Amino acid sequence: MTTERVVDDNVLLEGLRRGAPEAVESLFDRYHNRIFGLAMSILKNESDAEEAVQDVFLTVVRKANTFKGNSALYSWMYRICVNACLMRLRGKRRSETVSIEEFMPVFTEEGMHASLIDDWSKEVERKALEKELGQVIQRFTEDLSEKYRVVFVLSDVEGLSNEETAHILGLTVPAVKSRLHRARLYLRERLSGYLQEGKTGPQ
Amino acid sequence: MNCKELVYMLEDYIDGTMEEQLRRELSVHIEACEPCLNFLRTYEKTRILCRHIRPDEIPDELRKRLKTFVMEKVRERQRNIEKYLGEEARERLRQVEALLRAYAVNRLPPVVAALFQAHNDRCERCGAFLRSINGGKGPVEITGIPPDVEEHIVEFLDALPPGEATNLT
Ligand SMILES: [Zn+2]
Repeated sequence: MTTERVVDDNVLLEGLRRGAPEAVESLFDRYHNRIFGLAMSILKNESDAEEAVQDVFLTVVRKANTFKGNSALYSWMYRICVNACLMRLRGKRRSETVSIEEFMPVFTEEGMHASLIDDWSKEVERKALEKELGQVIQRFTEDLSEKYRVVFVLSDVEGLSNEETAHILGLTVPAVKSRLHRARLYLRERLSGYLQEGKTGPQ
Repeated sequence: MNCKELVYMLEDYIDGTMEEQLRRELSVHIEACEPCLNFLRTYEKTRILCRHIRPDEIPDELRKRLKTFVMEKVRERQRNIEKYLGEEARERLRQVEALLRAYAVNRLPPVVAALFQAHNDRCERCGAFLRSINGGKGPVEITGIPPDVEEHIVEFLDALPPGEATNLT
C-alpha cells in the first residue's frame, strides 16, 4: 500500500463516518474487485460471493463509526470479508474434500525422500502453460478445507504478509506459516501429479 | 539434517527467517541431495505460480447489480438517519418552547427558575430575547427563537438534573 492510498482511505473513512453516499460509492469503486475476488477464491461460487460482498459493504458502512483505524482500511475489509465467507461456508454441506494428508511428502524411516522428486520448475516457464496452471491450481484449491484455503488465498494469491494474514484471521504468525506451508506442499504435490500425467497420459 | 527435516523447514528457508547455522546445514544438504534440490525448486515454483493466479474478474452485470444494491441500502439508511435527526431536533425545540412558556407565566420550578435567571443575567443574547417576550409578565406566543438562544437553552436543559427538564413539558 502506498502512502497516498492510506491518505485517500482516511479521507474516505471520514466520509463513511458521516454516512455520505459519495464516500460509499468511492469505497465500492475502489475495493469491489478485490473483495469480490477474495470472496470468489474462498467461496468458489458466484451467488455466494455476491451475498458476501453485499455483507462486506453494508457492514463497513454500519461500523465505520466504531472502526478505530488501528489497521489499514483494506485489511479491515478483508477481515470482514473472510468472516462473511466463513459464515456462508459454515451452514453448507461441503462436497467431498480431499484429505490434505494424502498429498504430504513421504519419507523413509531414515528421513529420506520415499518418492521420486522431479524438477519440473523449468518446464513450466512457458507463458501459455502459466495460464493453464493458474486454472489448475484454482481447481486444486477447491479441494482444500477452508482452514488452509483462507490462509493460502490471503498470503499467496492476495500477496499479504504473514503478519497481515495473521491479524486478519486472528491467528498467530507461526500458525499462519504452518498452514501455508502445508497448503504449498499439497499444491506442489498435486501440480507434480498433473504435470506427470501430461507426460505419460494420452497425447 | 535429513530430507524430512529439510522439507519441514523449507518455509523458514524461503522467507529468510531461518537462523544462520541451520541455513548453512540446509545448504550443505541440498548441494548433496538431488531430490531435495528438486523439491526446493518445485516448491518455490509453486509459490510463484500461485502469485500469478488472479481471481476471476467480476462480471459487469454482477458489478452493476451489487453497486445498485449497496447504494440503495446506503441511501435508505441515510434517509432514516436524517429522519431520526429531524425528529430529535423537533423534540429539542418542543422542550425549549415549553421552558419559555413556563418562564413567561412564572411557572418554572424554583430551582430551575433560579438557574435560568443566573444564565440570563450573564448572557446578553438570552437576556435580550427574554425581555422581548415579556419576561414573566404573562402568556405569550413563543415564536422566532434565534438559533443561538435555542442552543443556549438546549445546553441549559441538558445540564439540569434528571427529571427537572421533563417536568416542564
Ligand atoms: Zn535430501
